[in-house]
Amino acid sequence: MGLTLPDGGPQVAEVSGESPNWVTARLSDLVNWSRTRSLWPMPFGTACCAIEFMATAASRYDISRFGMERQGYTPRQADVLICAGRLPFKLAPVIRRVWDQMPQPKWSISMGACASSGGIFDNYAMVQGIDTIIPVDVYVPGCPPRPEGLLYAIFLLQKKIQGESLMDQSLRIERSMGPDGLFRAPAVIDEVSEPFGNSVHQTRSS
Amino acid sequence: MTSATVSPSVAALAGQFGAAILRDRVSCGDTIVWVAPDRAHDILAWLRDDPGQDFNFLTDITAVEYRDGELPLEVVYQLRSLGRRADLRLKVELDKARPLEVESVCDLWAGANWLEREVFDMFGIAFRNHPDLRRILMWETYAEGYPLRKDFPLRGHFSRSEQTRQALAANPEAHYSLEELSIASSYHELSVEMRERLARGERGEVA
Amino acid sequence: MLALVVITAVAMLGLSHGLGLLLGTRRKTAIKQLPYESGMPVLGDARERFSVKFYLVAMLFILFDIETVFMVPWAVAFQQMVADRLFLLVEMLVFIFILAIGYLYVWKRGAFQWD
Repeated sequence: MGLTLPDGGPQVAEVSGESPNWVTARLSDLVNWSRTRSLWPMPFGTACCAIEFMATAASRYDISRFGMERQGYTPRQADVLICAGRLPFKLAPVIRRVWDQMPQPKWSISMGACASSGGIFDNYAMVQGIDTIIPVDVYVPGCPPRPEGLLYAIFLLQKKIQGESLMDQSLRIERSMGPDGLFRAPAVIDEVSEPFGNSVHQTRSS
Repeated sequence: MTSATVSPSVAALAGQFGAAILRDRVSCGDTIVWVAPDRAHDILAWLRDDPGQDFNFLTDITAVEYRDGELPLEVVYQLRSLGRRADLRLKVELDKARPLEVESVCDLWAGANWLEREVFDMFGIAFRNHPDLRRILMWETYAEGYPLRKDFPLRGHFSRSEQTRQALAANPEAHYSLEELSIASSYHELSVEMRERLARGERGEVA
Repeated sequence: MLALVVITAVAMLGLSHGLGLLLGTRRKTAIKQLPYESGMPVLGDARERFSVKFYLVAMLFILFDIETVFMVPWAVAFQQMVADRLFLLVEMLVFIFILAIGYLYVWKRGAFQWD
């Protein structure tokens, strides 16, 4: 379906030598339960979505009751990278390095239209979706998404983590940049960055 | 209250500089004066230093390229006299056929440093005698051109994958030295004598 | 009782740390090993030279702080002793005077000048 990556995604050899059994399943459940209930976010807030993230973290919508008690602006103790806001090309190497410096297990949430696809900024300066630079687990639409939207994204991420298996080594591989200095194949980046919607009418001497 | 009258600075400028003041206009209550590019620095210096003018605050420096290609590029100086509470806008026209250059006003207003860097980054207009003319909004090794020019496409010249590759390879702090970074943050702690030495460009030996 | 507390504490620490070491994922990459500098490439060494004036300030603090520390029990003893009060006072004044000479020397040498 359209949910698989056109370039096939990261190539993984085998899952695990061990066959899943009752013990590994219970262990996976335990580990996933503890991971989902204590997802410490690193808010990579750049613009307006960061304000909505702050609203979600504040007392009315409170992500702390879902385990996201400790937000750090350091990748070292974070589980989730929440990219909230538009990402200029100048900031691209920064988010890539921050992602690389997060220890496993790590996930990422692309919050808002700009982080997911470039949003209204289809121009020379903005990254057209952070999934061209880092792997993304959950996308949150909205400009900005309401706090309920971000909470729903967190729940989706929790469901995704609960479906993971400890025995599946492919989940915890470090998906680093390719030798050509890109994370995705160039054709894929070009295809996902194609203008769509009203953007196709905004050409302005291009 | 906005008025449609011309600022008295125009008459004073015409009296002082004569033919270098090309024309003037009032638009939405703001006075705009066009001046000759080669006298721009002297005119701005006089506007700052003359006691009757006293434009001690440089609000902004920007540039305009009009969609009509035959019109020249304009460098726009927005001045403010804090004491007299008066504004003035100065425009310098640059012919697109000639190299885009104008004298820097960093020696008049220190804030012009970054403002001129932004104009250079976005339009490619070089400022003579600028202490540190390099890109400021885009990264320093940005190779696509000058983004706010009309012949620059909205999405840039290069393909998205090429832009991503170049952006990921760019190191924003590459052209700083460790000395620059550490000295810049503690510049005010250096002694006057050392600051003078640094300004002269001498690198002394650590005793 | 105390031994039980200590053993429990050590056991809990050991368990959590040890389980983490045992079960935790280890995916070392080159970039991950570098120091975190807000996403920027690393610039310079973490071990920088400090100005010696920090050391000076610390040393002077220790000296005069110990002098103050000696004054406190003296004050208690002074209060409790009724006889020989003048002698006690003069003794402390001599002590302070000796240190005051040192203070004057340090002052004149400019150790109190930060810049």
